[in-house]
Amino acid sequence: MAIRPSRAKRWHGHGLPYLDEKPLPGHLIVIEGTDGVGRSTQVELLRGWLELEGHAVSNTGWTRSPLLSATIADAKAGHQLTPITFSLLYAADFADRLEHEILPALQAGFVVIADRYMYTAFARNAVMGTDPEWTHEVFGMALVPDLVLYLEIDVDTLVPRVLRGKGMDYWESGMHLALSSDIFDSFQNYQRRIIEEYRRLARDFGFVTIDARESISKIQSEIRAHVSDYLRRAHNGFQPQADGPSPAPSARPLAQARKG
Amino acid sequence: MYFTEWNSSRLVRNSMRRGKRRNLLTPSTFSLLHAVDFADRFIYQILPPLRAGMIVLADRYVYTAFARDVARGVHPDWVRSVYRFAPRPDLTFFFRVPIDVSLERLLAGRAKLKYYEAGMDLGLSTDLAESFRLFQGRVLENYDRLAEEFDLRVIDANHDIAGQQKVVRRMTGEILREYDEQRARVHHGNSHGH
Repeated sequence: MAIRPSRAKRWHGHGLPYLDEKPLPGHLIVIEGTDGVGRSTQVELLRGWLELEGHAVSNTGWTRSPLLSATIADAKAGHQLTPITFSLLYAADFADRLEHEILPALQAGFVVIADRYMYTAFARNAVMGTDPEWTHEVFGMALVPDLVLYLEIDVDTLVPRVLRGKGMDYWESGMHLALSSDIFDSFQNYQRRIIEEYRRLARDFGFVTIDARESISKIQSEIRAHVSDYLRRAHNGFQPQADGPSPAPSARPLAQARKG
Repeated sequence: MYFTEWNSSRLVRNSMRRGKRRNLLTPSTFSLLHAVDFADRFIYQILPPLRAGMIVLADRYVYTAFARDVARGVHPDWVRSVYRFAPRPDLTFFFRVPIDVSLERLLAGRAKLKYYEAGMDLGLSTDLAESFRLFQGRVLENYDRLAEEFDLRVIDANHDIAGQQKVVRRMTGEILREYDEQRARVHHGNSHGH
């Protein structure tokens, strides 16, 4: 008998049919966005705020599973990875954290903040040319999050931010795709494609898009507004009248905002 | 001819070891780690010789995962999706033995059954041998279903080795007749062949 997620929770695909049925009263909030956009800073600020608000918070991040993080780091260092092994390693890391961190925390009623989620794999795999259908099926064990906040940025704003930070790395520049022998060109080209994919995913999966070109504090206050709006609606049992689209102007995709 | 074996790539060896030693693996991570191992070998070891027109002999293939991971409780469609990058073999043998025979053979070779091969992670029984029987019973049932679904050639592995080998060679010979004809054509058309 499969877990029947409480409230509106559902699996992306077949889920984890071997787990016992247990309610999941917690909340799963995902922060997505490309490399160097400022996700970890925002996650830390959000976590602190939620704790002050009296919530039990647990956070989890991409490739942070104790089972796989070292293996993934080694494999990346050795350039042995192909799109298929890359995807499967990410899926194993994800499944490990899902079962050992995310689901237990949700069962205990925690707010779980995930720094990246399955959408990262969807975006990267699409850019690497892996069959998107396959990626979705492999991540069929994933729980669909309650709220996805997408930090959207453009490449021109991203470049100086990354250069002021830890610099351009081999994988984040998409050097494995051999788009260019020049890391700067490759970074721009690769990140532009990733951002395009994210925009498609934002539309398909109903992400809340936040303009990440703004200051850290502006972005954080937008994030908090969306999270507290979500938590209020969850607390009220998602009454139909309160279930409409968020009134915040930042919910509009950046593309529209720029055109407007 | 190229030979490849299950669970032998270096890529996930440490994760697998860590997971098994500390009993950290869940049915999904167990399945995915083996899939990474297989994918790594498939891409670097199986696919290139196939592209070069060689014969690849694989000791276990995706059916091991289909039988075993489903016995652990993952969804049959999910595990088939995970391995979708792998083509169907031209010929697959399934060496079938009753549980007691495989238990006897394993114990004759070494002192103790392994935790995961006995399916101890599923909590079917606290007794190792009993858990092995229950778990491998499920695996065997799955194999029987797979034999039908994927047309696996079932070899009665209870027979003497020479007898089994005779059947295997005859069936392989039938499949290879076509391959030899193709090779003959290639060599005929390419007189400077190697």
